[in-house]
Amino acid sequence: MKLVIDSLFGRITAIGVYVVGGVRATFELWMVFVGTIAGIWRMYGRRGASRPTGALVEQLHIIGNRSLLFITVTIGFIGMVMIYQACLQFSRSIGDLSQVGVQFVRLIISDFGPTLTAMMLATRVGAGIAAEIGSMKVTEQVDALRMSGVLPVDYLLVPRFLASIIMTLALSILGAAIMYGAGGLTAYLSFGVNPRIFFDLSFVQPRHVILGLLKALAYGAAIPIVSGFCGLRARGSSEGVGWATTAAVVGSSFAVISLDFFLSVGALWLLKGDL
Amino acid sequence: MTAAGGAPRELIVFRDVHKAFDGKPVLRGMNLAVTKGEILFIIGTSGVGKSVTIKHLVGFLRIDSGEIWFDGKRVDQLDERGFYAVRRRVGMVFQNATLFDSMTLAENVALPLRKHKKLRHTSALAEAMGRLEQVYLTGFTDRYPAELSDGMRKRAAIARTLTMEPEVVLFDEPTTGLDPVNARRIDRLILELSRSLGVTAVVVSHDLTSIFSIADRVAFLYQGQVHAVGTPDQLRASADPILQQFIQGQSSGPMETPGF
Repeated sequence: MKLVIDSLFGRITAIGVYVVGGVRATFELWMVFVGTIAGIWRMYGRRGASRPTGALVEQLHIIGNRSLLFITVTIGFIGMVMIYQACLQFSRSIGDLSQVGVQFVRLIISDFGPTLTAMMLATRVGAGIAAEIGSMKVTEQVDALRMSGVLPVDYLLVPRFLASIIMTLALSILGAAIMYGAGGLTAYLSFGVNPRIFFDLSFVQPRHVILGLLKALAYGAAIPIVSGFCGLRARGSSEGVGWATTAAVVGSSFAVISLDFFLSVGALWLLKGDL
Repeated sequence: MTAAGGAPRELIVFRDVHKAFDGKPVLRGMNLAVTKGEILFIIGTSGVGKSVTIKHLVGFLRIDSGEIWFDGKRVDQLDERGFYAVRRRVGMVFQNATLFDSMTLAENVALPLRKHKKLRHTSALAEAMGRLEQVYLTGFTDRYPAELSDGMRKRAAIARTLTMEPEVVLFDEPTTGLDPVNARRIDRLILELSRSLGVTAVVVSHDLTSIFSIADRVAFLYQGQVHAVGTPDQLRASADPILQQFIQGQSSGPMETPGF
């Protein structure tokens, strides 16, 4: 009996430790976000503030330009597969393919474009941010920054945060356009859907565009915050950096999907289901 | 050191400091006092808590219990912002040089000038050039750390620390991984700092040549406490078998070393 109670007590303790660790990590993540927002003011909001020279432009290049080919190819393929499957199902069920483009453009603009682009960015950009910051943490470069009078969040996260927001917005618009274009081409070549019918934007409302842009904004903010947080928590040596990188990819992807869900539910609630 | 409770006279004082990592104690009631202007070496086997000790002074680690005093003020309870004032007066040269990979040598050295001294970028760079000249790196100011040797990186890291004209410099294994020539150059730099500028140097090291050539005093850390402290000659003459085993580098003896 005592053994069972001890075992039960041990498990409850383990769950307690896990929950406390989770709550603490969530609080720290929130503090990283708040610190980054405050860092934007410290770095860019004041005249004469000391900024890392060219850091924002460099990060725009790394996050945006270097992701261009990756996003174009993956999103293009996803668009082709998606529209091919949609055309196949429509032709089997109702036989009318004229509504495929009209219906899917709304979905692409308000959901698939930004979400799938951000998922791709979460893997490429998230891993890069966590690996770089994690390496700096375990080699004491982060401590050296603190010794130099620099808040690590200001130098490491603020430029990445701003660059990620700008480039996620830009790449989401591009991703949506590529997905739509690749889908239209597939529909035309595989099922003979007239491009004039497919590329009909008359049903797209401003609310679809606003929701899509809001999602891109949220994803762009979440990816560097989650990844930077994981990088700053790296401990030990290369194993710690590996853990941070994996956690960053998983965490960023999870954040994108969760934000997609909550923003979509929020939009549906606000618009009373008329999305 | 004064009696427990009051502000000490010495520049730096560690008083009954305890620190554990994941329940494993590293420092177990460590007491140490550093006098202004001296070169104090902290020696001991790997993992005994030498680097941990000095990281507490600048707020990178927080003690579990005890007190740390710097220039008559207690610092172990300061927050991150509070430690900025300490870091303006206490510089640290890290074990791996820790220059920022994405910056040139001049930019690395200019960074603390821009942040702590609020200098503009161009004036900070100009001053950084002068600092690099002091450590014989004039021709390498626009190079990135990855393009340089370990000795050069260490010297650049020292230059970066010196930009703030610190009263105290903490050196974390400054000669580890360097060839003997570069190691002795680093020793000479530390000695020059202390003798010509009056800088207090706390050096964590295993390098016996450095210890016996430039140290004013040596503190030997063992089992989380200062086991012995004194001048190099006093330590060499000591009859303590544990200390003698360390100094003579004997693999067997009374010293208990975890993992062996």
